[in-house]
Amino acid sequence: MTSKVTTEVLEKGTKQVKTILQIAQKQKTKISYDKKAESEFFVDNSALAGFTGERILYMSVRELIENSLDSCEINHILPVIRLRLKLLDGLNDLWTISCKDNGIGIPSEKVPVAVCSFLTSGKYVEKQQRGLFGVGLKMIAAFSTKDTDHPLRVWSKSEEESECYFDLRTDIGTNKPITLFKKNVKNDESQIEGESGFKVEAVLRAKLSPVTKNKIYDYISQTSIVNPYAIITFETDEGKVTFKRRTEIMPYPSKEVLPHPSDMDLKTLKKAILNFMNQKTTLQGILSNSFQKMSNDKAKEIITRAGLPIKPADKYDEHELIKVVNVCKHTKFQSPNTDHLSPIGEKILTVGMTSEYSIILNKETANSGSQTQLSAKILKPALTAYSSRICVVNNRPTIVECGIAYGGDMPSFKLFRFANKIPLLYDEGSDVAREVISEVGINKMGISKKEVKEQFSHVETKSDRTVEYLPIHIFFHICSTKIPYKTAGKESIASEGDLKKYMKSCLSDLYRKVSAQIRRELKLKEDENKLRLYKHYIPFIIDAISESIKIDSKKLSLAFQNLAERYVSGELTNITKQIFPDSNQKRNQMTDKKNTVNNDNGDENNLNKFDKRTSVSKHGNKTKLDKINIHRKITKK
Amino acid sequence: MATKDRRHQEIINKIRKIMKNVGDDILIEGIMPSLEIPKVGYDNTVWSDERRMLTIGNKTVQIGPNSSKKIPTFAQYLVMANAIRKLLDEEMESTIRGMYYATLSTVGDEKNQQKFWSGQDDSDDAIKAIELLTNVPREEFSVTSKPKGMISGPITLSVGGDLIDCNLGSRATSQLIPTNIRDLEIVKVKADFVMVVEKDTVLNNIRKSGFIQKYNAILLTGSGEPDRATRMMVKMLNEKWKKPVVIFADADPWGLGIALRYKIGSESLSYDSDRLVTPNSKVLGMMFSDIYEYNIPKVARLAATQEDLNRANDMKKKPWLQDKQWKRELNLFLEHKEKCELDAFFKYGFKYLADTYLPNKLREAGVI
Repeated sequence: MTSKVTTEVLEKGTKQVKTILQIAQKQKTKISYDKKAESEFFVDNSALAGFTGERILYMSVRELIENSLDSCEINHILPVIRLRLKLLDGLNDLWTISCKDNGIGIPSEKVPVAVCSFLTSGKYVEKQQRGLFGVGLKMIAAFSTKDTDHPLRVWSKSEEESECYFDLRTDIGTNKPITLFKKNVKNDESQIEGESGFKVEAVLRAKLSPVTKNKIYDYISQTSIVNPYAIITFETDEGKVTFKRRTEIMPYPSKEVLPHPSDMDLKTLKKAILNFMNQKTTLQGILSNSFQKMSNDKAKEIITRAGLPIKPADKYDEHELIKVVNVCKHTKFQSPNTDHLSPIGEKILTVGMTSEYSIILNKETANSGSQTQLSAKILKPALTAYSSRICVVNNRPTIVECGIAYGGDMPSFKLFRFANKIPLLYDEGSDVAREVISEVGINKMGISKKEVKEQFSHVETKSDRTVEYLPIHIFFHICSTKIPYKTAGKESIASEGDLKKYMKSCLSDLYRKVSAQIRRELKLKEDENKLRLYKHYIPFIIDAISESIKIDSKKLSLAFQNLAERYVSGELTNITKQIFPDSNQKRNQMTDKKNTVNNDNGDENNLNKFDKRTSVSKHGNKTKLDKINIHRKITKK
Repeated sequence: MATKDRRHQEIINKIRKIMKNVGDDILIEGIMPSLEIPKVGYDNTVWSDERRMLTIGNKTVQIGPNSSKKIPTFAQYLVMANAIRKLLDEEMESTIRGMYYATLSTVGDEKNQQKFWSGQDDSDDAIKAIELLTNVPREEFSVTSKPKGMISGPITLSVGGDLIDCNLGSRATSQLIPTNIRDLEIVKVKADFVMVVEKDTVLNNIRKSGFIQKYNAILLTGSGEPDRATRMMVKMLNEKWKKPVVIFADADPWGLGIALRYKIGSESLSYDSDRLVTPNSKVLGMMFSDIYEYNIPKVARLAATQEDLNRANDMKKKPWLQDKQWKRELNLFLEHKEKCELDAFFKYGFKYLADTYLPNKLREAGVI
């Protein structure tokens, strides 16, 4: 019975399949080959630029801040950035985002194209920079056009120009800007106070989950760590926070650089030849002028080895040129230059680490119900240290910078990752920095797992890596002309070439540098723990004794407290040897040593680089044994 | 009753003396107090040729409130000592679990709150420390554990004056060995010898077979690791009542260890061997060699686990197990990597163990 039914169904099924196939055959003829405008392509594939549902506002904040910072640093202007993110229409999820900076601005005739047309950017050069594709601002413009009827409002003031204002939208179908309105701004309506600057205001349709909101806060506070020379004001519906300028030192901007011959391909070579088109230069000349580490002799050698005849450079065909590329791939060149890179630098990172801002949401239960209020708190570590490595990873010049901030206000372990000064917030688990931290043992700090776990036994961490018990912030910054990102989302760095090796050596170096301080901190922590233990356990001991024998329990308790305090402070050493017998004296001798000026990144062996200011302030906070209530109620009985 | 009071008073005075010393250290001497306690464990366990048992060495540890780890321990010891004093004062009796509850509390403020004991193990350790400090066994503190040893056979006990005849005749049940050993007296023993087995299941099987009546024996088990009362009972029967004692345990390192607890003592209780160990007892089985001599079918043998092998290797290294017989047995085990439980004889029929194996072994040893 059942089998019959199944066969019937099967037959029916095959019949249906057949008809579908027939239809398909009939329809397969037409395929149209349309060209898609860049803007349409990017809007359709917004994930490529990271603009996906939840992350639209996060990415917008990121792109705007990065553009502003780049725009300031290019002319060595100390950045002042004001970012606002406000809910415009909660029912329709409309947000107003605006960002104003004091950067170089955009010349007025270029504004519409620079804001709206995809793949138009001043950034298409071989150089270390934050944004790379010139996609960010355009994405905001396109999304605003796509999802709302609001124009993008732009104020720009570039050198020797007066401030001008635009209402813009993007023609997504053609990748062209639509200028709805344009005017020169009169003084009394001016939005840009300084000599130059740029302000953009857009309306976006987006949802903001608490997770994403926190990522935005994290992003801004981490940006301020590596850009302590910038004033960043951030305003939301929850309040306004200002990240103050903590230093006037700015890093040297990165410079444009010639490509390294190991990276040569047919495209770069043809482009190089094209650049010299009108100058009657030989191929040899073009090679030595277009690539670094390529002397005239070396260029000659390569052309000879490629077996090419001598003729005008533009007369070589692709089959000949590919031979040059192949030869270059097999030739040894000197390592690429690194001096064009722009690391954060010891001074700036140290400033950032010693004044790390953290955004706090205060839940205020005022009369009008509960309301959250934004505020920023500066975390002061007890000590910081810095180390860096200049290296070449897969032929790309790379600088690895690593910093540590320990103790003080640091509540717990945290890893900060930066790539070309951009904070990386997602995919921490798969980042090479994670591996580096797991693989460098904390014994390099001269402390053991046991000690740490004993002193920080209350710390709750999902990880069993000992370093995560410590109140330590570890910072990694990788800067390079090309960062080996793991994914298109650009949120984690792959362990490529020797990168991990250099990062490990950098971190080991730091661990060694801070070992003495960490041990001292740990000793302080131990003392603190001990005093707390005494405070908690002395009443039990006093009770046990005074219940058993006749004794003045008040006097005994006071005497014991006194004894315990003297013992912890090291005055009393009659029982056992201390683990760090000499540290108590040292602690008192510590002087208020200001951060020594020591700029050179390569100088890693200098041990006097620590910021010791806060170690001393910590000493002042030393916990005292509180008065113990000896008449503790005994619950049993 | 009067003698008891005096003994209690003695112990209470000992505890008071300890408290007084601690108080004096703090108030008068102005130094960190410290308790000196004999060290318990392998590295302070010494074999005594003369007494033929494990004894405790001269090493001691100082427990004082001078390190983060020892501050709680020190407080725990004093709190436990005070609790024992109270127990004696009130003429009460408690199990070790009861002592744990009596002293249970929390430490610290709201931010750093934790339990005074992290578990009963902690409070058991504290009781042990007070035993060592006062040199008084816990039974005299009136602190006992839950009874788990069992006895069966022609013996009459008196527990606090109540008579208990363990020869119930029905073959159906055994008596628990009371742990309040201070209240326990052996009134009458009519047996020819005492047979200790590792597990209660085996004891039940043997009892049921009529072994007790046939050979006029007392059967006894500690149900695994024997408690102090069981060990003391064995010792009393052997030394006070002059009854030969034989021991049967499983043929695995664990079983051998248990058998040796009775005969030579243990590292963790080496300080109390004088009260607990029966050096004249004979460990008769089950030997590893018995597996092959009695040709236990393969199916009834068990493969040794890595833990078993580690344990056997450890045992081989102990200075007090250098006796040829034990070395031979352990080597045999390490070679074949097989173990076997006494229950394995059930493979040959339920009565084989009691009717054949045990009588054979006893005859070899000249006990029957």
